[in-house]
Parts: sequence; structure tokens; C-alpha cells
Amino acid sequence: MSETRHGTLEELVALRDGEGGAWTREHVASCTACAAELERLEQVRAQLRALPAFAPPRDVWPVVLQGARVDRRRRRVSAWSGVVAAAAVVVLGFAVLRHSAAPAPEDVALQKAMAESAAMEQMFQSLHPDRRALSGQAAGVVADLEDQLAQVDAALGDTTAWRSAPARVAGLWKQRAGLLSALVDVHQTRASVAGL
Amino acid sequence: MADTLPLVEAKSLVTRARAGDFSALEQLYRAYERPVYTLARRLTRNADDAEDVLQDTFLEVCRSLKQWRGEGNLWGWIRTIAASKALMRYRREKLREWEPLEDDVPRQADDVPLQMDLEAALNRLPERSRQVVWLHDVEGYTHEEIAELMGMTTSFSKSQLARAHDRLRRWLGAGVRA
Repeated sequence: MSETRHGTLEELVALRDGEGGAWTREHVASCTACAAELERLEQVRAQLRALPAFAPPRDVWPVVLQGARVDRRRRRVSAWSGVVAAAAVVVLGFAVLRHSAAPAPEDVALQKAMAESAAMEQMFQSLHPDRRALSGQAAGVVADLEDQLAQVDAALGDTTAWRSAPARVAGLWKQRAGLLSALVDVHQTRASVAGL
Repeated sequence: MADTLPLVEAKSLVTRARAGDFSALEQLYRAYERPVYTLARRLTRNADDAEDVLQDTFLEVCRSLKQWRGEGNLWGWIRTIAASKALMRYRREKLREWEPLEDDVPRQADDVPLQMDLEAALNRLPERSRQVVWLHDVEGYTHEEIAELMGMTTSFSKSQLARAHDRLRRWLGAGVRA
């Protein structure tokens, strides 16, 4: 007496998905039980796809928008930092050539302010601000500080101002160091590292 | 689910959003918030988790818009981000609270032919089975893609799908009521 083997569920699902083997295809063609099971599997899939969609209970767009704004400012600050650093190299080179003997007091003040800013920037980057989660209020404070930083960086990116008003430029670098210090403070006290 | 935005419109919105146009970003969000939330609800089975996944998905979309090259549909790209976020959340939670991988349904109840509707039956499936059946049968992911998303093997995906259908057959009876 020969035993009839029916298709396994895995074989029938594969057949439904157009991946079934030759044996399963031939068997289903002659087995009403397996053909009915295949039909049922197709029916379940169709009914699953017809289940209604869910609507989010709350509108999270304001949170997404706030996050997108902070992210954009952060990228802008990062991009401007590169421009400012390049401008600093050019202008300091110019200053060194101009004062090959003893540097002028305004150049000393400028270099000191730039060193302070560089130190604060290094501290800020070491906190990995992109990996930190901020509350809505802290995110607003960070966004304001980053906006101000972007404005300072834009002013520092104008190299003609460096030559015409070195004292003002040193002031901008001091302002930059202060803003970075405030950002460090917010991230150290009001942010949590994402994923922890 | 088919893409809710025609490709030309999706490309235009993405280009504007990349340039910093937040109204274009909002249009993208509005077009996909329901499908992303639905997928997240099906994979996490929890409204709060699904809301977090929705938020995390769109924050990731904002950050990664430059990576979408305009090839293939935008929904497919966003959907994979959402599925990854939902499954990652599941993995994190499993690390915190141990749960049998295979079966969180009492064995005895499995053998009782129940006549329940599809929604209830789907919710009753073990986590992994429900995730696989949804990703495969509804979202159209292949077993290879599901294996990659879940960090498992294709055999795992196939067997979870077969087990899910075995349970659904017993719980739904002969007919299927949505």
C-alpha cells in the first residue's frame, strides 16, 4: 500500500509565492486537499493586505520638524567651521609675512582668541553632539546658539574684514568661543546620549 | 502597499527638501505617515512604540535624504528604514526582558480550533511570526530581505512564515473573516 504525501505548509507557501518546486506543482494539480490549502493561503494573504491602515493618534510632525531644523543647523555650523578654519590659515599666513620680526598686539590678541575658540570647538566635538538626544526646550536653546554661531562663522568667512578690522575679528573669535562654551554646557547638562 | 507618490513628484519633493524646504519635507511626511505608522504598529503591536518608530524614521529620512538616488520607489526606501527601526526596537526590548523566541502562545490553546477574526489572530501570533508574515505577505519582502533585516537566516524566515500560517489556519477555521 503506497502512502500519499501532501505538500508541507512551507512548500505550499513557496508555491503561492511563485517559488514552488516541480513536485509540489504537480501534486497540487491532482490533490484537491492541497489545492484547497493553497487557495486558503492566497485568501489569507489577500485579507491581510486588506486590513485597514492605522492613523497615528498624535501628530508627530512638529517633533520631526524641530529635529530636522537642529540637524540642518548642525550641518551648517560644521560646514562653516571648515570655511572659517581655511580663512584663518590664509590670514594668519598673511600676518606672519607682514610681521616677520615681532607680532603686533592685535595679532597676538587674534591668535589668543582663535586658540580659545579651537579649544572649545575640540571640547564640543568630543561630546559627540550628533549622538545626543535633547528635550524640546534644550533643543530650542541649542538651535538658537547654533544660529548665532552660524552668523559669527559667516562673518569670519569674509577674509577682507580680517585685514581691515583685526580687532573686530578677534572679538568675533571670542564670541565664537563663548557660544561654543554655552553649547558644551547645554550638551553636558541637558542631553542624554542616544541609545543609552 | 503601492507608493502613494508618483516618482516624478517624489523626486521633486526630495530635491526641494534637500535644499532646506521644510514645506516639501512636510509633504513627504504627510504622504507616508500612515503607511509608516501602520507598518510600525504591525511590527511592534504597540501604539507608543509605533509612534516612536514613526518619529525616528522621519528624523532618519531627514538626515539621509541625500542617500536616496531616485532609483526605485521612495516608499520602498522609507519602508526599509521604518522596518529596521521597528525591528531594532524589538531586539533592544528582547535584550531587556527574556522571551521564548519560538512561542509565546500556550501550546494547549494552539490545539483548540478557535473562530476568531484575522485581526485578533494576527495579534495573537508570536512576535517574530507576526513580523515575518506581515513583512512577507503584506509588504512583499523576500525571505532574503527579511533575513537581512532581522539578522537571521532565510530558513528562519521561511519556517516562521509556515508556522504563522499553520496557526492562522487553526485559529481562523476554514473561512477568513477580516
